[in-house]
Order: sequence, then structure tokens, then C-alpha cells
Amino acid sequence: MSRGAFWLATACGLVIAGIVHIATVLAIPRFSEGDAFTRARASETLDHPLRIHGLAGAPAANGEWLPNPDPAVSVGVCSYDLDDGPMRVSAQAGSLMLSVSMHSRRGAFYAVTDQAAVRGGLDLVVMTRAQYDEALANDVAGEVTRDVRIVAPARRGFAVVRVIAALPSERAVADAAVQAVSCTIDSPAEPTGEEPGKGKS
Amino acid sequence: MAQSSGVGPAAGTSLREDAGAEPSRRTPAQLPKRLGRLARGAASRGSRVGLFVYALTLGGLLGLASADYATSGGYPFGGTAIGSWTAWPRAGSLDSDPYSRAVNARRSDIPLAVGEGMLLTAASDDKGRTLDAACSYRLAGVTPPARAWTLTVTGRGALAAGQEPVRTGFTSTEILREPDGRFAILLSPEVQPGNWLPMPRPRGPIRLALRLYDTPVAASVGSLDRDTLPAIERTGCGS
Repeated sequence: MSRGAFWLATACGLVIAGIVHIATVLAIPRFSEGDAFTRARASETLDHPLRIHGLAGAPAANGEWLPNPDPAVSVGVCSYDLDDGPMRVSAQAGSLMLSVSMHSRRGAFYAVTDQAAVRGGLDLVVMTRAQYDEALANDVAGEVTRDVRIVAPARRGFAVVRVIAALPSERAVADAAVQAVSCTIDSPAEPTGEEPGKGKS
Repeated sequence: MAQSSGVGPAAGTSLREDAGAEPSRRTPAQLPKRLGRLARGAASRGSRVGLFVYALTLGGLLGLASADYATSGGYPFGGTAIGSWTAWPRAGSLDSDPYSRAVNARRSDIPLAVGEGMLLTAASDDKGRTLDAACSYRLAGVTPPARAWTLTVTGRGALAAGQEPVRTGFTSTEILREPDGRFAILLSPEVQPGNWLPMPRPRGPIRLALRLYDTPVAASVGSLDRDTLPAIERTGCGS
């Protein structure tokens, strides 16, 4: 029956629509070229966070692309590729509230605020499982390290630094606090070294 | 993908059956002209290809359109409704649902992680009416425990140049409080005494966003209820 065939074709079409829908939704994050992961890669060559939402002064050179940013929070991103070595994010706890979160392409896997700072400093080291094992093996017995070691689920990702300006007069300070965070690559030979020898840009 | 392999052969066999059954139906009946043409068309070899193309086209277009609809704008689900507020504790975490992930990728958003804070949004008042920029609202009460919070109002679409509101939000530090720690924010197009938050748009729907920073409730949204969040009360409408 032609009508039966037509309905059957429609039913098949709907089933195909469901499959296409699911496949598309799953594929969007993977192939997106405008997502935070891809845009954050502009910061890969920097050793401090790339400002993506500033509070004071002129907007950043390559645009501020957060869709609904908090008007009281200064945001910076540091992209990393663990093939180059573990990434160290060092922040000094100041008067303003600061938080650092680690993201892979799939989502955030770690976040910490400046309340976790040890002696006023926050040192996070993102590493792969192999780099983590190596760092453990290189640890000197009895020596206390204040590094927070985080095993990343993927080799590439980005760190996000947020500083809250509670008052409008603190906006410039918040922007400066984001810029003062350092994101450097630990040299693979000395994964637990205090400061990698890398010049400021 | 197991579904697709199951559908393929089934579709093929029934199409063949239909084609075989076709002549018996065509010969005796004095069908209307159009139906006859349709039946003849369906019986012919070309129409089977036509139906196949039709099914593929329908599936492709419908699938892409529905995926686009579901991932444009806000998160389709995954929030926890608490009164007129909706909490989004897992929007950016590794175990977020695929729709949230797709929405984040399309908007290039970086949601707050669980250890960092939590976002709550509201698009309607306590009586369920959509928040409208032409009305005045009073946000009063307390906020869940957090080291800092910000409350911002946003409208839809881009602002015309030179129309930026004087303020788009309050932080927990700059707000004026009662002696008992409670506060009231007056969201209105007209200037108000106290914590006045101007409307970001002359008209249209608006949304409120309450961001809690460094809060323990991000890990246990179930502990929140209506009384721990600011009430949104409409105080007047129209100009």
C-alpha cells in the first residue's frame, strides 16, 4: 500500500531523526571551533593568564567572549598541553577572593579557592599519570612539598583564574591579581622544582 | 547505534512487501485520479528511491533542527528548581549531561566548577509570572552560605550603544543590609531608594543570576529550599 509505505518511510525518518539528533548533540563539543577550549588555546604561549573578562580599562585585544560574564569577576585562562610537561599554576593569595579551576574539553575536573593557600601561596601542578608517578619517585624523603598535584583526565585543557572585585574600587586590583598568577611549564627533568627558569614576557 | 542496524533491514523488507501488494490494489478499484497516480507512483521503482530519499531527508533535517533547538540558548535540563530559582551545580563538571556540554561549547561558556561556586538563575517571580522589564520587583531575604555572592540582571539581545545601565548587579559586599543581615534589592525601571538595580532593557523578559562563590551548597543542592534564597515579589507593573 502506498500510504503504508509512506507512513513507514515517515517512521523511518523519525528514527533517523532521533539518531541524527543524538549524534549531533554528542558531536557538537568535539567539533566546536568556538568553545572555550579552542579559544583558550590562544594563551598557550603566555606564562600568565590570558584575560578574557577584564573589569577595568580597555577590553582585551582578542575580545572577551564569555557569553554572560559576572560583572564583578575578572577572568583569565591558561591553556596547557601536558606533552610539553606538567603545568604549574602559582597564585599568591591577596585581599581579594581568588579561585582556580582546571578544565579539560569535557568539563571541569578540579577547582580550589585561595582558602586552600599554604603560607599565602597556591601551587597547583597539573600532570598526567606518568608525570605524577615520576614526581612521586623524585620526591626527596622527608621533604614537604606544598604543591597540589592534580592528575588530568586528558592531555590538553585549560586553567581558569577568577578574582572577585567585591567593590567597584577593587576592579583594577582584581585585573592585576589575575595577571599576577603564573602558568608555567615545569621542566620534565625537575618536576618538583620550585620555580622553572622561564622569562617573563 | 544498535537501533539503526535494526531499522535498516526491517524498512527494506516492508517496502518490498508493499511493492508486491501494490498491483492487486490498483486493478479493481476505481480510485480517484490523484490516489491512483499516487499508487502508481508508489508501485514504480523510482518512488521507492523517492521514499528512501524522503525518509533520509526528513530524518536529517528533523534531527539537525531539533539538535540545534535543544542546544541553542540555555541548558535544556540538569537544573534543580528551588522556588522561582533554578540551581545549576553540575553545568560545567565532567559528569554533566551531553546537552549542557553542547550548550557550553556553542556559547563558549565556562561554568563555575563545583569547588568554585554555583550559579542560580530565575526567569519568573514567586507566583510564576515571567520577569518583565516593564515591572518592578523586590528581591528580599537571605542567601545560602557563601564567601561571596553576586546578583546580576540580564536582558535578551544586545544593548544599543550608549544605553548601558548604570549598574547590572550587586555583590555581597556592596549591598546595604538591615541590622539583622537581611537585605532587599529593588529591581525597577524607576529610581528607588536603597539597593536599586535598574532594568537592563526598556522592555522584554529579563533573567536574574545569583552566583555563589566558594559555597558548601554546591555539593549539596538538596539542602536548599525557598527560605534560603531571596524571594522575588512583583510590586508593580506598567509605566
